[in-house]
Amino acid sequence: MKSEVMVGNKAVAYATKLARANLIAAYPITPQTTIVEYLSDFVAGGDLKAEFVTVEGEITAQLVCLSGSIAGARTFTATSGEGLLYMSHALHHTARYWAPVVMAVCNRSVRTMQPDHTDLLAQRETGWIQLYCENNQEVLDTGIMAYKIAEDDRVRLPVAYALDGYVLSFTAEPVEIPDQEKVDAWLPPFKTQYPVLPETWDHDLEEYKKHWAQGKGINEPFTPFAGDENFSHLTMVSWGKGHDLQWRWRAHQEAMMRAKKVIREVNEDYGKHFGRSYGNGLLEEYRTEDADAVIVAMGTLASTSRVAVDNLRKQGKKIGLVKLKSYRPFPDEEFRDIGKRVGTIGVIDRNISLGENGIAYGSIRSSVYDLKDRPKVLGFYAGLAGREVRVRDIEKAAEMTLKGAEGAPTWIG
Amino acid sequence: MIEIRFHGRGGQGAVTAVKILASAIYLEGKFTQAIPMYGTERRGAPVAAFCRVDDTRIRERDLVHEPDMVVVLDPLLNRSVDVTDGLKKGGLVIVNHPGAAKDTGLAGDFKVATVDATKIALDVIGRPITNTAILGAFAKATGLVKLESLAEAVKSELPARLIPTNVDAMKKAYEATNAPVDASGFKKAEIVKKTSTQPMISYSRNVSDWRVIRPVVDKAKCVGCKRCWVYCPETAISLVDNKAEINYDYCKGCGICSEECLVHAIKMEREEV
Amino acid sequence: MSKKMSIRDLREEEVMWSGNPACQGCAGSIVGRLIFKALGRNSARVEVASCAPGFMNIRVPSFFGPAFEGGAAFATGLARGYKVIGREDITVAALIGDGGTVDIGFQGLSGAAERNENVFWFTYDNEAYMNTGGQRSSATPEHANTTTTPVAQYSRGKTSDKKNVPMIMALHNVPYVATASVAYPEDLTAKIVYGKGIKGFRYMHIFSPCPTGWGTDPKDTIKIARLSVESGLWPLYEITEGHKMRLTYKPRELKPVSEPLKMQGRFRHLKDEELSVIQEQTTENWQRLLEMDGKTIF
Repeated sequence: MKSEVMVGNKAVAYATKLARANLIAAYPITPQTTIVEYLSDFVAGGDLKAEFVTVEGEITAQLVCLSGSIAGARTFTATSGEGLLYMSHALHHTARYWAPVVMAVCNRSVRTMQPDHTDLLAQRETGWIQLYCENNQEVLDTGIMAYKIAEDDRVRLPVAYALDGYVLSFTAEPVEIPDQEKVDAWLPPFKTQYPVLPETWDHDLEEYKKHWAQGKGINEPFTPFAGDENFSHLTMVSWGKGHDLQWRWRAHQEAMMRAKKVIREVNEDYGKHFGRSYGNGLLEEYRTEDADAVIVAMGTLASTSRVAVDNLRKQGKKIGLVKLKSYRPFPDEEFRDIGKRVGTIGVIDRNISLGENGIAYGSIRSSVYDLKDRPKVLGFYAGLAGREVRVRDIEKAAEMTLKGAEGAPTWIG
Repeated sequence: MIEIRFHGRGGQGAVTAVKILASAIYLEGKFTQAIPMYGTERRGAPVAAFCRVDDTRIRERDLVHEPDMVVVLDPLLNRSVDVTDGLKKGGLVIVNHPGAAKDTGLAGDFKVATVDATKIALDVIGRPITNTAILGAFAKATGLVKLESLAEAVKSELPARLIPTNVDAMKKAYEATNAPVDASGFKKAEIVKKTSTQPMISYSRNVSDWRVIRPVVDKAKCVGCKRCWVYCPETAISLVDNKAEINYDYCKGCGICSEECLVHAIKMEREEV
Repeated sequence: MSKKMSIRDLREEEVMWSGNPACQGCAGSIVGRLIFKALGRNSARVEVASCAPGFMNIRVPSFFGPAFEGGAAFATGLARGYKVIGREDITVAALIGDGGTVDIGFQGLSGAAERNENVFWFTYDNEAYMNTGGQRSSATPEHANTTTTPVAQYSRGKTSDKKNVPMIMALHNVPYVATASVAYPEDLTAKIVYGKGIKGFRYMHIFSPCPTGWGTDPKDTIKIARLSVESGLWPLYEITEGHKMRLTYKPRELKPVSEPLKMQGRFRHLKDEELSVIQEQTTENWQRLLEMDGKTIF
């Protein structure tokens, strides 16, 4: 195993190389740009055998990955902030096709180049799995795990993993690089479940005909292969028979729910093989054993929060941290479990749903609502538009959480 | 509340008809709703549209499933579509048909009024677009709307050059409408659900009921030049023994084959009612 | 350069099943059928929002491609993905309307052409957004009456010329660009057969009258397409290697443009002076093309 002091963007590039993605399409945008450059170097130097499509915009980048994935390639793209928003339309399509595309997102705020999470969180209804990372090692490991999750037959959904722009993308720190052979053994080559090829098309259509003969029509999933609930390509052609496709959303939701289990399994298995795992894959609890209260943070705020928690613990204050890694699917059961144990949850959002509140705050509050003795849930805004978040800012939020102070969400920093 | 369902074909103006009707009745002080049912079907394909009438604002947002009245814009439509499906007992059907009520093939616990809207449309407008004529018949048979209101409502739905003839068609149809007759003793025509014999993918369907004219090949004249075959949009023509053979399940009656035949071996003939 | 074909050379096998829901007399249906007849079944088809899904009964893997703007992107990904799995033998064909080509899809199209992706692009051009009821596109010719360029007291229809996309595509220096017409299936097929043998980005722009949107009798679809070629309104040519230009059909004498235009409801309002301006421009354009015929252009 090698290790290297590298920036987050290079960790993304290494993860993609180790996962042997063989179709890459991306368009440059700060602070994602160097991901594309590192990958170009890998491909140009022969270190990575892949089709590299230097597209003319993010929508094209996403759609190239989508159809490339359908044809049988393991695909990768990366973007950031405005680029992600421009890509938004295509994100919905990739999810509707259940294509296991993997994408890295360097979080960036609109009209600044600095990070906050609103760009990717604004895509939470697209049907993508969303994983947030706190350091460059986690970025690399998540970049590999993402393929295992996306391509799992129980899931087959696209995965986005996020690193805070600048704070991770351009900050260098030591990162261990797993051996290629070990990764190859753990992550076998991608094989599309549904090769859409001219020679099999007639057979596929015959299956589709049977589906209709059974009176199922468009209102039910077309599942020509045993045990497969996600088949989508052929059902695309049935679009015109009617517009009642609600079952697709139902099937997608079910796949998302299965993904919770798959993410936990993949995380654990990765730990067994590579010696690192991240909580239970969906979230990680830090010093919560006897905590009276916990704070919740995503991305690099979780990293800063660890310091704040340690400082307060030294003062004898019983505070813990919950790092929320998977925003989609959302670990609501885990939060219910935490809610039974603590009196107050303070959620620090590096995002805002303008006109309502912090996005994670709302989700967590909703998760614990059904508890008999539910904890208080407080909301904090921090680090929006890339505003620097210091340890003392988090300490302030943690102190307020411990006090269980009521009131509207608080702006800190 | 009164619920009305219109049946027509793409291009006959069923959607425009419900819009005119809803506007006209609204002019008379009632609340109305006009709902189109859009699919991917195009010109010639069976379509439906809906109208609701009430004294207060209508809150229902679903389609009309149990109409009080049914309006049929095409005499051939009830061969492939059950136009009276869900019609309330004692309801009313206004159908474009050249014959008497008993010849329409509609039967059940409802009344049937007929009008030869196609003839009126051809005479007055010059094209077989029957939506305005049938509205005239609707006014006569139901008394639900005045002819003057319909004439006023047409103004916002059709280009100015088409208004005089369409209003005239309405008036002529109003006068020519046969009074509603009880249909409980009639014989119902068999509805033939025509299914495609092609592999069931996407849109494959039997389109024979889209046709109002049909191509007929004079085999003696046909020289097997393949022009009709190559230009057929429907893949409905093949060459058998070097003569054009038309598969009528898939012919929509566009007339390209007849137009392009260099030896005039294909004639277009009206489908019989 | 494409080799002349006759109607007898067209493949007997049908690649399109019968029973589609396109309008009566739809030229797009004929175009779709002819394209895949020529390409054969070892191909895949990409479509975006257009009427084309309405004549989708073609027996090759078909994608109602996601995103109106994404025809070229989707085709690119398919072609590259097939390359990854070692199946470059499959022809990736995009069957896209004029809107998905010349307007919203143009960025992606230009990008794919510049990268010389291994894709065969077919534009079936009915000169407006017919699938949504006939709004103008930048492929709509000047003066045409559309729902967004209605003829009224202060309007004479569309105010600008049709965007000349085949020539723009040729300037991308792609290996093959051709125009074609639904009325000339032999010419269209010959060009596809030639293009199929080339690797890289190939572009074909096909004139496809729309009876519903143009206000024409369904039976006249082919006649209007033919008269448009014979009058010089829609010249048939091909450009190889980005600059070798050849007219593939040269009428000895051009018919007056009024012949096809007068048959179309969308040009019903044309005054004689407007017609004569169109005639003048068309004759000039034809002269220019004649001078370019057989030469290296650009």
